[in-house]
Amino acid sequence: MLVPGLLFYLIFRYGPMFGLAIAFKDYSPFLGVLKSPWAGLKHFEKFFSNADVWRLTFNTLRLGVLQLVIEFPLTIAFAVILNEVQNMRCKKAYQTISYLPSFLSLVIICSIFKDLFSVDGVINQMIVQLGGNVIHFNGDPKFYLFIYILSDLWGGLGSGAIVYLAALSGVDQNLYEAAKLDGCSRIKMIRYISIPSIMPTIVTMFLLRVGNIIRITPDKTLLFYNDLTLETADIIGSYVYRVGITNKSYSFGSAVGLLESALAAVILIAANKICERATGSSLW
Amino acid sequence: MFDLVIHLILIIISVCVAYPILHVTAIAFSDRYAIMANEVSIFPKGFTLESFTYILEQGKVFRAFGNSVFYTVLGVFINVAMTVIMAYPLSKTDLVGRSVLMKMILFTMFFSGGTIPTYLVVKELHLLDTVWSLVLPNAVWTMDLIVMISFYQSIPGSLYEAAYLDGASEFQIVRKVAIPLSKASIASIALFYFMGHWNSYFLPMLYLFDQKKYPLQLVLRSMLLESSGTTSGASVLAETALTPTGVKNATIVLIMIPVLLVYPFAQ
Repeated sequence: MLVPGLLFYLIFRYGPMFGLAIAFKDYSPFLGVLKSPWAGLKHFEKFFSNADVWRLTFNTLRLGVLQLVIEFPLTIAFAVILNEVQNMRCKKAYQTISYLPSFLSLVIICSIFKDLFSVDGVINQMIVQLGGNVIHFNGDPKFYLFIYILSDLWGGLGSGAIVYLAALSGVDQNLYEAAKLDGCSRIKMIRYISIPSIMPTIVTMFLLRVGNIIRITPDKTLLFYNDLTLETADIIGSYVYRVGITNKSYSFGSAVGLLESALAAVILIAANKICERATGSSLW
Repeated sequence: MFDLVIHLILIIISVCVAYPILHVTAIAFSDRYAIMANEVSIFPKGFTLESFTYILEQGKVFRAFGNSVFYTVLGVFINVAMTVIMAYPLSKTDLVGRSVLMKMILFTMFFSGGTIPTYLVVKELHLLDTVWSLVLPNAVWTMDLIVMISFYQSIPGSLYEAAYLDGASEFQIVRKVAIPLSKASIASIALFYFMGHWNSYFLPMLYLFDQKKYPLQLVLRSMLLESSGTTSGASVLAETALTPTGVKNATIVLIMIPVLLVYPFAQ
């Protein structure tokens, strides 16, 4: 019974890992992965001598850090606020609405945001009504990250909150009762009971995300960016896709992808160490 | 006071989340003059099905809908079958080499070969531009596998033993004991597999070349690309000429319908 599943893992999960060898080779479609000649570190050198390398790394880190410092805390805040709603019907309604966008595809989300921010979109109509001038949001690199993060929040707030809501529902209600008797305010209860109680969950979620400040899957970028915003929008993942798949530089693309994975692993291990020292909880 | 602030925040968030979805739906059912004049808000203006009839006549979106349904049904079937028959033996603690296998499986959650090496594996297996390229490379999701393994571990071993003593083979035990008991878990992993296939655009974009094989997401994407980078008034006009906004939003509604049908079960 194990055979089909193990074959899958060997071929499609471990196969590509060994396929990473082409990062050190000159891949030729006629020779295949095994027979292509070795090329040493040529592709890595090529990447580092490329003028784009620092811009790509900077763009990727900037997006990753923004996601971490904006989306991560806001998701926790949203869960905590939702948890404070006493009326179960209202709570259910808020949750149902906020969870819906996580069932929509990235292409739909992209279409919705492009239209919202287009020159004759809803946002610009509001600006005009308030007496302002039309802003070309979609073609202006200044607004690219703002729209990207906003669409992340729109699509991910509801689903991201679920894990914290589950943790919050496990908090001992007697703690709140006792605090209430001592005359503790609701805000103080959040500060001294809710947040500390879900701290282990927060740390775990943080660690699961932290490697992604450098390893960002490019599917959203590939939909959102255009020629006008490329300078700000281009990240390592989208570069790998363009160079590796579109231009068929398989070896070079693999080398860049490998660097990205390695960097993500280093960040994860370092963050895990720091968290272990600071809070006592860690991933492994 | 505190409650008031909380409800206010949550109402604002809910409106911000709901508005774009209602707006899209309203445009899909509005006539083109109301759309062009930017008069549509959250209710259809000049209610019409012309965008949908256009889709039916033109055929491209319609074919893509069929493709999406085919890929999703086949994909979910293979996902669920593979996950179940793999999870069941891995749930047995007496399985030889179990801890090594589990470590090897978990490792893939943290490290992967990446897009290009995976692409080359698919290419060298001659799966490119076939439905198998969408189905096989992600036949098992490790998260869902773990969910199923832990479910099967929670079933009392005596149930399996009873069937075993009655002379049932391992396959019969899976079919007659494990699967019926795990219907709820299977439904929940099937739901996530369904969302994964139905909403995926990146893998079809990587692996499919023939436009006739495109799923809905890729057709919607090409509609977006036609209008990307429009900053001047001239190209905005061109955009409406290529794919009318109403048709684009009708396509979005078509994609959303199956999702909204399963949404109540997701909670």
